[in-house]
Amino acid sequence: MMDAGRHPNIELMTYTEIENITGYVGNFHVTVRRKARFVDESECTACGDCVPVCPVIRPNEFEMGLSTRRAIYIPFPQAVPAAYLINIDECLGDVPIACGKCLEACDKKCIDFDMKDRIERFEVGAIIVATGLDVFDPTGLDEYGYTRYPNVITSLEFERLISAGGPTEGHFIRPSDRKQPKRIGFIQCVGSRTEISPDGPNPDGSRGHPYCSNICCMNTVKDSLLLKDHYPDTEITVFYMDIRAFGKGFEDLYRSSKEKGVRYVRGLPGKIREDPTTHNLLVTVENTTAGRLETHELDMVVLSVGFVPPEDGHIKKLLTLSNTSDGFLLEAHPKLRPVDAPAKGVFFAGCVESPKDIKDSVTQASAAAARAQRLLNKDRVSVEAITAWVDHDLCTACGICVKVCPYGAITADPKQKIKAVVTEASCAGCGACAAECPQDAIVMRNFTDLQIMAQVEAALAENPEEKTLVFACNWCSYAGADLAGVSRLQYPANTRVVRTMCSGRVDEDFVWRAFELGAAMVLVSGCHFGDCHYMTANHHTQKRVDKMWDRMERWGIRPERLQLEWISAAEGQKFARVMREIEEMRRQVTREEIEETKAIIAKRWRKRRK
Amino acid sequence: MATAGAGKQARFKCLRCGYEYTDVYAPDRERTCPKCRSNSVRRLRK
Repeated sequence: MMDAGRHPNIELMTYTEIENITGYVGNFHVTVRRKARFVDESECTACGDCVPVCPVIRPNEFEMGLSTRRAIYIPFPQAVPAAYLINIDECLGDVPIACGKCLEACDKKCIDFDMKDRIERFEVGAIIVATGLDVFDPTGLDEYGYTRYPNVITSLEFERLISAGGPTEGHFIRPSDRKQPKRIGFIQCVGSRTEISPDGPNPDGSRGHPYCSNICCMNTVKDSLLLKDHYPDTEITVFYMDIRAFGKGFEDLYRSSKEKGVRYVRGLPGKIREDPTTHNLLVTVENTTAGRLETHELDMVVLSVGFVPPEDGHIKKLLTLSNTSDGFLLEAHPKLRPVDAPAKGVFFAGCVESPKDIKDSVTQASAAAARAQRLLNKDRVSVEAITAWVDHDLCTACGICVKVCPYGAITADPKQKIKAVVTEASCAGCGACAAECPQDAIVMRNFTDLQIMAQVEAALAENPEEKTLVFACNWCSYAGADLAGVSRLQYPANTRVVRTMCSGRVDEDFVWRAFELGAAMVLVSGCHFGDCHYMTANHHTQKRVDKMWDRMERWGIRPERLQLEWISAAEGQKFARVMREIEEMRRQVTREEIEETKAIIAKRWRKRRK
Repeated sequence: MATAGAGKQARFKCLRCGYEYTDVYAPDRERTCPKCRSNSVRRLRK
């Protein structure tokens, strides 16, 4: 942090909030609010003379509330810049009758109560999102008594208690009597690897999240070694489901911890009780290795809490980012572009993408910096030739395309009748806009309506009543079909696949044309929700297919003849199974039904088109 | 995009196996038939 602060090419904006971000790759316009510190950071020498005179005492957030701070403070000892700031909501003010004591104490006259927030605007070519994560709040787990028993602490509180720079200056004491604990227990997976089920005990995630928080096991191993080094006679028991010690040297650390006498008990405690006289804790656990119920009397229990995604959705909204089902930000591709955001020119570093340890965070940050540098070194940005363009002769400025674009790449103003314009540098080519455009005014390069219609017509040129037409997205379903093929999985030979970049590109017209040509069954297939390579473009597929099912029923066509399936690239078996099931359904579609459908489509769809 | 009826109970029908059930309508959640695991699940309107 100190290095970053001193680097000539890095401008560090602390105590600053992002107000707005507009633009696109290479041309982002950023507006920030530089909050008033009420202390001139260029003049403040962090002498600390202002602190003892401040009468306002508040819990120190950095020390997890284990010590206090004043209204004028440095957020944490290594903060850059090393200058004080005043929390103006807590400060009593500069009026002498109220307070103003810091003004008198500061010889350098750095304190300025007239300081105001400043709005600054600047342009950047790339953005790296590194907003981190939050820690799971264990207050919802009543059985561990975190809110009732003073000697039940979290792993973060433990970090502060054992730190030489912490509130106890590294003397490890327990909160109830300030004595050094001799028997310490660690409980793993607090807030991690817990099922969320609407009908179960954890409907809202307040008792934990399904994913593994990645670092808690090794953090506990590290803490146990630290305790053994400082206090060799301490008895340490770790309660766990399974220890995940993958990574370079981690298994050695785990083994070293066991060799130093740390006891690992496989089983998570069901309940913690407290002896009210001694404040010792009685931990009841089923030792699944030994197959017996045990009760451990401990002086202190450390809850190894997991992580949760940051709550701040502001940045996500500004950069049109999406998240995976666990709430962390979705990368452009989990294997090939793991540090890229789906929005071009935006990269991820650290835990905002998933929980990770320091080494992985540094690796990802280095990769993100390199990716950004590679982009900035270019004079021009190349985009794939699959972007959208708008035919202004047809566009009526309805604005539907603006609403469906997951990247915010289209601008239009329906009120002022300003027609749609695509920022091609931001367009990823999903085609959701082209599929939704009621005027067919949007053309997808290399995936035009004419090209896709030609494929549909070619696929159904012979014996269409014996065919099942599949619209498969490039990234998942088409790859799933490919996997089924290379894995030599059996699926009906009458399947005809038309590839689109995204299932969101599948226009209603394509489906109606397929039925008009006599197709017995049509399948629209795309990525699973959360896996879509175009963020939420497949959500529009679901909505569109819903509309088509309703329309089919109104027109007198069985909605069952249009199927929808989410198939990932790894689900070759699912693709084969789905195609076999659809073949069973196809056999029940009679020639009379197909002829009737053709007549209905010819009448209804053609009429609608006119 | 706001979707009408989101967060409210709705009737659904699987267009693969015909199973009908009631669930909360969530447009941002993948629909899967509880019986046959198909995604061809139609939201029925009144």
